[in-house]
Amino acid sequence: MDTMCAFELKRPTNVAEASALLAKPNARVIAGGTDLVPNLRRGLDAPATLVDITGIAALTALDLDRAPRVIGAGATLAHLAGDPRIGDEYPALAQAAAEVAAPAHRNAGTLGGNLCLDTRCVFYNQSEWWRASNGYCLKRRGDTCHVAPHGKRCHAAFSGDVAPALIVLGAEVEIASVDGMRRLPLAALYRDDGAKHLALAPGELIVAVHVPPAATGSHSAYGKARVRGSVDFPLAGVAMAVAFDGARIARLDVALTGTNSNALSLAGTETLVGRAADDATLAALGNLVAKQVSPMRTTVTASNYRRRVASVLVQRLLRNLAAEHATD
Amino acid sequence: MARRLLKLTVNGRDREDAVDDHALLVDHLRGIGLTGVKQGCDAGECGACTVLVDGEPRLACITLAASVEGQRVETIESLAQNGRMSRLQAAFHEKLGTQCGFCTPGMIMSAEALLRRHAQPSEREIRAALGGNVCRCTGYVKIVESVQCACAAAAGA
Amino acid sequence: MDTSAESRVPDALRERSIGRPTPLIDGIEKVTGRARYTADLPSDGALVGMILRSPVAHAVIVAIDTSRACAIAGVRAVVTGQDFAAPYGVIPIAQNEWPLARDRVRYRGEPVAAVAAVDRETALAALAAIELRLEPLPAYFKAADARAADAVLLHEKKKGNVERDVDHAFGDVDQGFAAADLVREQSFHYAEVAHGQIERNGALATYEPERDRLTMQSTTQVPYYLHLTLAQCLGMDSAHVRVVKPFVGGGFGHRVEPLNFEMVTGALARAAGGVVRMEQSREDSFLTHRGRPETDIRLKLGMKRNGEITAVDCEIVQRGGAYAGYGLVTILYAGALLHALYKVDAVRYRGYRIYTNTPPCGAMRGHGAVDARHAFEAMLDSMAEELGLDPIALRRANLIVPPYRTQNDLQVNSYGVPECLAWVERASRWRERKGTLPRGRGLGIACSHYVSGSAKPVHWSGEPHAVVNLRLDFDGAITLLTGAADIGQGSSTLLAQVAAEVLMLPLARMRVIAADSALTPKDNGSYSSRVSFMVGNAAMRAAEALLDVLVNAAAKKLDVSPADIEWLGERCVVRGTDRGLAFASVVTAALVDNGPVTVKGTWSAPPETQGGRLRGAAVGSTAGFSYAAQVVEVSVDQDTGAVKVEHVWVAHDCGFAINPLAATGQVHGAISMGMGQAMQEETQYHQGLPLSPNFLDYRLPTAVESPPIDVHLVETIDPLGPFGAKEASEGALHGFPPALTNAIADAVGIRLTELPATPDRVLDAIVAKRRKDRLDATRAES
Repeated sequence: MDTMCAFELKRPTNVAEASALLAKPNARVIAGGTDLVPNLRRGLDAPATLVDITGIAALTALDLDRAPRVIGAGATLAHLAGDPRIGDEYPALAQAAAEVAAPAHRNAGTLGGNLCLDTRCVFYNQSEWWRASNGYCLKRRGDTCHVAPHGKRCHAAFSGDVAPALIVLGAEVEIASVDGMRRLPLAALYRDDGAKHLALAPGELIVAVHVPPAATGSHSAYGKARVRGSVDFPLAGVAMAVAFDGARIARLDVALTGTNSNALSLAGTETLVGRAADDATLAALGNLVAKQVSPMRTTVTASNYRRRVASVLVQRLLRNLAAEHATD
Repeated sequence: MARRLLKLTVNGRDREDAVDDHALLVDHLRGIGLTGVKQGCDAGECGACTVLVDGEPRLACITLAASVEGQRVETIESLAQNGRMSRLQAAFHEKLGTQCGFCTPGMIMSAEALLRRHAQPSEREIRAALGGNVCRCTGYVKIVESVQCACAAAAGA
Repeated sequence: MDTSAESRVPDALRERSIGRPTPLIDGIEKVTGRARYTADLPSDGALVGMILRSPVAHAVIVAIDTSRACAIAGVRAVVTGQDFAAPYGVIPIAQNEWPLARDRVRYRGEPVAAVAAVDRETALAALAAIELRLEPLPAYFKAADARAADAVLLHEKKKGNVERDVDHAFGDVDQGFAAADLVREQSFHYAEVAHGQIERNGALATYEPERDRLTMQSTTQVPYYLHLTLAQCLGMDSAHVRVVKPFVGGGFGHRVEPLNFEMVTGALARAAGGVVRMEQSREDSFLTHRGRPETDIRLKLGMKRNGEITAVDCEIVQRGGAYAGYGLVTILYAGALLHALYKVDAVRYRGYRIYTNTPPCGAMRGHGAVDARHAFEAMLDSMAEELGLDPIALRRANLIVPPYRTQNDLQVNSYGVPECLAWVERASRWRERKGTLPRGRGLGIACSHYVSGSAKPVHWSGEPHAVVNLRLDFDGAITLLTGAADIGQGSSTLLAQVAAEVLMLPLARMRVIAADSALTPKDNGSYSSRVSFMVGNAAMRAAEALLDVLVNAAAKKLDVSPADIEWLGERCVVRGTDRGLAFASVVTAALVDNGPVTVKGTWSAPPETQGGRLRGAAVGSTAGFSYAAQVVEVSVDQDTGAVKVEHVWVAHDCGFAINPLAATGQVHGAISMGMGQAMQEETQYHQGLPLSPNFLDYRLPTAVESPPIDVHLVETIDPLGPFGAKEASEGALHGFPPALTNAIADAVGIRLTELPATPDRVLDAIVAKRRKDRLDATRAES
């Protein structure tokens, strides 16, 4: 049953105004609304004020000629997926943006919105009636995580496609608030706690993403496991950026989505530096992923599958990018 | 409850209506009589409510009406001109791109946006553009044929 | 008098109304957005109806206190189970459901109370103010748990929570197995699935207190059953009820029985003395459910070396949910349709329909037979492999020759399996490609069949099974009046085509008014693919009756015997002369004696097609079986378990395609729904709460992964069907799941015994096979 609350909608035209509005109690940001509005309709939040930032022209600007490149947080996912400059320099980013949901979602959904996507869980993304019948959950109004009832934390999974791509590309986020601006490595934006997965203080707003220029000879890609060809959130999503020295791996970065409460930066990839992308290396990389991801029963698809497929995807990406490098 | 006067260009006509701040675009459009905008799910999962906002497909059921202030909104009701169906509408009718018809308005609006951008899309591009418009009746075969038929008609015109 | 006949059109060149692709007569409304579905009906000032649902799966209702809700300003009505006169259920002998629960709740989400208020916010506040006192009982979410010896009974007198058990044996089954060269037995498990019609449920009820009259407009496939049920549950004279079906956005069986919200909306309108609109959510659809049950099957087949089936032994357990609904029909269908596809002379069937504390299951496209068909066709495939037979050859060893009477008394009058097999074999290049594709790519085949309407109606009233009226007035327009509910399948178009064809008039002269109980003759509804066959036959007879009136009038006017009239549709002539009349003149003549003309056509399934020796044997009986064969080509990603359907070739014996455009579209839809069930759809529950009551996690196929589907319509011209037609919308569905898993077996050597074939299940099976292969290899070495 639809239980969306009443709220006041503000449409600031600049960041300072937005920050001032967001400093008020119980105010939330809305951009494309493709994540927030479904949640509001299910009663998952009840803000007094929504600050709609789609009227702030500065947030949609892209500056791809300087280092680092700056992409406004208000750029739509459709734009990121379709801009050939992004596709050329940051294939992982363009591919990830193109894999989000369906075309109409991508026309509305923004970069900032996808980075700040709420975590998801079958016990959470339900109607008010459903959650009340189930005694609510740790993420909202309850004291039990139904995924791991004896645990102390929420296991809802982060499911944004774009974050892992930008993490492996070395992005930082630029954050505004009434206290001014700060920058944060994107990986540090995320915490492995489904109920509090973003390291943002109340009133903070992501205004842009800074991405270092892709080094010559580096390669990146994003792979997503899903059941359907469209719409679905990732069962597991893997982004990779890799540079080779001859046939040997010179640098390797991997990040994942859909498996943990955070966008997970894979640790230990430096142990593979200097090795060729052969079967043994692929297997070692697959093992790293299998060990570090911790999918829980937050989706209707079994968690052990999500672990396994993440491991398969990462190996596939490395094999493909090595092949791409070989033909360069 | 916060309300506002909302200016929109709906199907080519400028209008101004009092709406709640939290009103959804789907409810607003249906409320002014545009019941061709359908709702099949509880939020953004089926595509039946697809309308064009400044020419791009958007899901009216997860769009706040006030957030598209000043923009151009087009619904299925705008496509027939002077009593004549558009090429897409005629093709969906003649090729049975519609069965129960409930997903049809959203489906046609997604296809309309595609064809404005790309007059001769490949089958793969058609399927991708319609990826968020769920149809339970057709298996999409005749929907794809309908879009292709409309392209052919346009090319022949 | 019009006497010119210079442009007489030879029959062969006349533009026929049947057998040609015909766009839907209500298609323009659909593509322009003008079509009004229930939620689109104007209703200024209607009250908002809302339903309170049980938060628990099984409990005694101690008290429902509505006093606080009633006291809220703006609340116009609050109703509970006590406000209804009688329970309901689509099968007259199994009515155990109340529109709002009385005494006990039996599933999470069961409606317990409802309100009508001036707006949504007030209605929500009223729901929140209703106090429910429930005393929990043990709840059972699996059939096996509900069957346990110490389980609390959901319904009195239903021992072991068995709603219905079936024990049928035909022929000498033991002898059949003894005579077999190969006997195999296998267990299968099928997830519960849902219809996923895109339109959400809703109703608009108008009650006139001055007249005690109720008008109901609703998202229904069965306006007549709804009419009866409204009268029964509300304790009203059915003469005071009117049911009108607006445009309906699909059904697929979700709406083939009256649903609780419809009676609730009626009760609220009466209690409030006005108009109530009920708009339900997608979640509500999943809670109302009536989908295909979770099913366990154990199947044993005996076979000769040449592939001839000697015996079938099948046991099926269905988790039916909390109420009867169509349940007993479902469990009977499952057994009955083990027959009539192949020549099988010995069949034993045990079926158990179990009550559980989950939303009630019901009829869904392919009702009863889909899961059993998967088990059957999957075993044919694996046994063919063991016997070294081509799967198509194996099926050819078991063909029926019509007319044929099955062991369980079903009548097969036309049978297109040979033609269907031949076409899919050729179109898929089966002979060249089967067994030669690279690993990971595979072809699979399966056959299937279904009824063209249940030959025994749900209500055995003795009335004709279908009735159509035709009206002709001064304007020369012909109005076809039918109770049949067009829910997108194109039934109104088909009926107009049939009548136009008989009258040899252009389709443009026809109008169809459908499913308004104040205007149209009753019709049992759109289910079991009955409308084309049964109502089509009635339309044909109505048109023949009208033709008779017209020919007689023309004969009288021209002063000749009716036998001398040559009817040409828009005109008629005296045979062998130039004398004639234009249609308009015939109409004028026809109205002279009696005024506007109304004629009737009726049709009933002949007694010999109604089945019958055994209790329950009427289920599955039909005047015409449709048949289908299909080949599915897949590629399987052996690392991720992802399966892609590359192509489907399907041949469907629809008897005769009255509207080849719509028939092809129906086959596409059946394949697509079969694909959804086979690959990705399943309802899962957490303690009786549906985990995926939405279109994100309940994964209907999208355009992106949906395959090309080549359809070939086989026309066997059934002796009883209208112009030889049979059903086209269900029979192809059953074959998809087995053709898919057979193709997966061909591609990667795994035989799935559990559906849907989601990537995790496929990968599990691949990994298990690798392990087994390694073990076997090690054993072989040692």
